Amino acid sequence: MSADRKGTGVNWSSLSVGDELTPMQITVTATVIAAGAIASRDFMPVHHDREYANAQGAPDIFMNILSDTAYCSRFLTDWAGPDAAVRRLAIRLGVPVFPKHLLRYTGTVTGLSRVGDEGVVEVELRGATDLGDHVTGTATLTLPVDAAPV
Amino acid sequence: MSDDLDDLDDRLAELIGKPVNTRGPIVGPDPVNQPMIRHWAAAFEDANPVYTDPEAAAHSRFGGIVAPPLMLQTWTMATPVITGIHERGGSPVESDGKSSLALLDEAGYTATLATNSEFEIVRYLRIGDHVTSETVIAAISPEKTTRMGQGRFVTWVTTYTDDAGEVVGRQEFRILKFKPGTAGADGAGA
Repeated sequence: MSADRKGTGVNWSSLSVGDELTPMQITVTATVIAAGAIASRDFMPVHHDREYANAQGAPDIFMNILSDTAYCSRFLTDWAGPDAAVRRLAIRLGVPVFPKHLLRYTGTVTGLSRVGDEGVVEVELRGATDLGDHVTGTATLTLPVDAAPV
Repeated sequence: MSDDLDDLDDRLAELIGKPVNTRGPIVGPDPVNQPMIRHWAAAFEDANPVYTDPEAAAHSRFGGIVAPPLMLQTWTMATPVITGIHERGGSPVESDGKSSLALLDEAGYTATLATNSEFEIVRYLRIGDHVTSETVIAAISPEKTTRMGQGRFVTWVTTYTDDAGEVVGRQEFRILKFKPGTAGADGAGA
């Protein structure tokens, strides 16, 4: 349909099950955590106030789940490109992420199918720090598929 | 002790299927707008041009600016009352005393930790869309011993609709409500 494919990203027809997504790293700081919490409109003090977090039994402020879904979304579309649409994302949280952690996202293509003029991509993803898995989950993306090749 | 727990379980069971917010659906304070999208994209350093670059977005599959799909939950987050937020246990707004989860707070499960979030994006939102959400309690677990302490998992299902009443997305969200200070020796803060 669309001839003018702008930007980077993947071509659905070239994908294979087992392909790895381009890894993404977040160097987590208190600023990263607080900025993400406020931009997602989550004002719970455990995400911006260390003393409050300590009183709740946490050693420091920690990343909120809306930031996690945001970073997963970015991880998916940084790889798949601006023409990708995220249709489903399911994540489970493991160890919390605190300032000074390095958060590394990795992912794998687990399924490919075609529905009409859309290519469907199933992905398994993981965001981990040195302490273990922070977030694990699955996602479904769709990509436009060009007219059938000759 | 066990009588109290049984009584609590009965009262919690009555909450299943009921709205979390007794004041009804939450109407987003603002329609989907470029400033909030730009703020979000900057905070997460998401350079996807379909969120902020009108020209690139026009040439994309979407044909114009769209909101980040996983920003869906943000549109109906409560505008916080900052004063007193610590005293309210982190709750962003004044409680009307009828919050379903107040029952758990009263029973000592005063701390909250999000554990799962699952989104289905039915359609991408555009500038001017106005989102309403309605959240129902789907499940409350028995008391469990967790890494954070003694707690109960609460699952909400939220349905997001536009001004026409059409569903734009759905979310299943699970939190752990736990009793602070009840973690074992190898508990949180390891």
